[in-house]
Amino acid sequence: MKLGVLSADRPLVWMLPLVAMLVAFTIIPLIYNIWLSFHEYAPFRRRLEYVGFENWRMLFSDSRMWEALGTTMFYFTVVLLVELVLGMAIALLLDAEEFGFGFLRSILTLTLVVPPAIVGMMYLLIEDAEFGVLTYVLEIFGILDKTTPILATGSLALWGVMLADIWQWTPFMVLIFLAGLRSLPSEPYEAAMLDGASAFMTFRRITLPLLSKVIAVATLIRGIDIFRMFDYVFVMTSGGPGTATYTLSLYSWQQTFSFIKWGYGATLSLFTLVIILVIANLFIALAKVRW
Amino acid sequence: MNDSDKKIYRAKVVNDYVLGKMNRRTFLRNASALGLGAGVLGTGMVRPFRSFADSQSPLEPSADVLAWVKDVSGPFAGTTLRLATESTPPSNAINSLLKHFFEEASGINVEIEVLPLEQVLQKLTLDIASQLGTYDLYYIDQSWAASVSRDVFDPREQIAANPDLAMPDYDTDDFLTALVNGISLYEDRWVGVPYDIPIFIMQYRKDIWDELGFGAPETLEQYYEQAKAITDTMGPEVYGATGQMKSGHYSLECDWTAWLWGHGGSIFGPDNRFAGNDEAGLAAMEYWDRLHATMPPGVTSWTWDGQGQSVAQGVAASMMSWGEFFPYFDDPNATKVSGLMEAARCPKPKALRTLAETGFGEIPGVGHQGGSSLAVSRNSKSPDAAWIFMQWATCYDTQVLITALGGGTGPTRESVYDDPRIIANNRVGAGTTRHLNVVRETIAKDMGSEPDLPQWAELSNDTIPVRLGKYFAGEYASAKEAMDDIAQATDKIVSG
Repeated sequence: MKLGVLSADRPLVWMLPLVAMLVAFTIIPLIYNIWLSFHEYAPFRRRLEYVGFENWRMLFSDSRMWEALGTTMFYFTVVLLVELVLGMAIALLLDAEEFGFGFLRSILTLTLVVPPAIVGMMYLLIEDAEFGVLTYVLEIFGILDKTTPILATGSLALWGVMLADIWQWTPFMVLIFLAGLRSLPSEPYEAAMLDGASAFMTFRRITLPLLSKVIAVATLIRGIDIFRMFDYVFVMTSGGPGTATYTLSLYSWQQTFSFIKWGYGATLSLFTLVIILVIANLFIALAKVRW
Repeated sequence: MNDSDKKIYRAKVVNDYVLGKMNRRTFLRNASALGLGAGVLGTGMVRPFRSFADSQSPLEPSADVLAWVKDVSGPFAGTTLRLATESTPPSNAINSLLKHFFEEASGINVEIEVLPLEQVLQKLTLDIASQLGTYDLYYIDQSWAASVSRDVFDPREQIAANPDLAMPDYDTDDFLTALVNGISLYEDRWVGVPYDIPIFIMQYRKDIWDELGFGAPETLEQYYEQAKAITDTMGPEVYGATGQMKSGHYSLECDWTAWLWGHGGSIFGPDNRFAGNDEAGLAAMEYWDRLHATMPPGVTSWTWDGQGQSVAQGVAASMMSWGEFFPYFDDPNATKVSGLMEAARCPKPKALRTLAETGFGEIPGVGHQGGSSLAVSRNSKSPDAAWIFMQWATCYDTQVLITALGGGTGPTRESVYDDPRIIANNRVGAGTTRHLNVVRETIAKDMGSEPDLPQWAELSNDTIPVRLGKYFAGEYASAKEAMDDIAQATDKIVSG
């Protein structure tokens, strides 16, 4: 049968639908965003007006933006590290054929199907100073009392938000690491056992190197996701107390949709994109990820 | 029958009567057995206002009004109108209970998106900027009125421009003048008509107040002393006061203005510069600090929702806040305080600035209002159909139904307060209207309105509440430092 342009040796034709979607939903919005960053919406004239580099100048002199960037970086670092370490630890524990472990592995997906905004609402209640179960437990152990509301205390609020993120997304890391662990060959482990290697040595010298690609991919995916985090702070703290939990995403949403600063909002989101690209590519280079 | 069961049964009886499921004779017999006086029927106060309105009328839209809707909607049958609105009692009542009457009569479909306030603003600004006319009607919080004033029709102009589509007896003069001035008027234009009116009133636990021998607080200082006494004697189980003090949230700004205005301060001075850092402003902060100490610890993480819950669950004994909560407090199925709450006017301010002593049309008053308007978008593709719907949604008859069925929200029309169907709901139970006299008096005598300026959305949602949040999180050395910081940021934004 003659397929003409649809023959297998013409991959471009097969890729056209995907390319079209990419252009429509990614490339064009990106170009529009770049264009928008050189304009600003004038509410009383009801039109976008060209402002040159004003938005970019404002971006670098905006102390709130730098503060939000600092908060985002801190959040990104802590949450990513905790989810990585905790995810790996739980994956190692569950990587065994013990009674009930299969069930445990299957329920790991449960947190992932809950929308982050709902998780935010849950933790808003869990951490409430008056009614929250976490506050209650911490009070029993004498760690914290009602007079120090977690989400309304500058030094604690971001940790309170992180808790929601870690609870929801650590199982994602566990699942990826578990899949990786289960695909590892058994021979190196048998050799290590014969050589008398300790469990830690086996993990450091065999498991980690063999899992490096899996870890790299998980880190990249979660890292990008964490950097864009919006839902939890939106629901739980609105960026407060003060500006303690303002992330770049929340700040750019606020500028765009609450204050009708379309151009500045676009500039902030482009800046966020640039930072993510730089960090991701640096990571790919340093971790020697090969696709 | 124990007290709780009695309250639930009492509420059910009154609800059945109000909804027309029980005749007057049976109701009176039950009411008498339950110890309800004739006052629950408003029998001493009822005065017929309009021919079609009396306490025996079924709670359905007036046939005259629906006939008018049918008459004028012919050319627009099949049109679909869209409105994005906050989840407020009027919107919820229209959406779930009343809309279908309009749709059946008019043949016009109405899609109402009920969203959090921030998302309504997002939809509205997107629609204005794109000029796509996705939404035909705008729900406009009073703090946005200045920003969108040019994007909606002035209803008076609509009436004049198209008399054929004007509802007979729509009567724009019936909207409470204070609300028109405080919510819908920007410069000389009406930015829609007043649609709902959440307003600060004093709501307190009558049982606790009685137990401690207190009367309703008459001054702010007396309120503080009462709140402190309750916290001292009943805390930490029950606190004397509560608040809506979540950092960075509009609710915190609302709370602040009540204390600021109540101490003779204002947000702006006549020179249009921030004035919250003057002597009166700092006195308000000093008072607020003291009152804060009488509130539950979690108050700095609550918006109005948390504030309402703290009263509903019996954790706090009073709040000076939105009157819309009152009918909810009386719901025996939802709260622990049904029948225990009392409404009163806010305590008298220590001093009050006049309009001339403030800037940007700010009207100081302890009864902070957070009302909103409903208007037809200039970008609407079906402005006439939208105008018909808007008139129906805000006319006298529909407002009565909204108030009676929609949970006792404060009407924006003078006449609705006197409607027998509204007075009949003046009893303990879900959707009570027994607080509405206080609401009406507050609108007339105590109402405070925020300034009108295009930058107000940013100032009230960010600049002020973020810094107040920082203050309560201990990030400023003093109230003066916090207020000076707000002054600097505000003046910079206002001067552009």
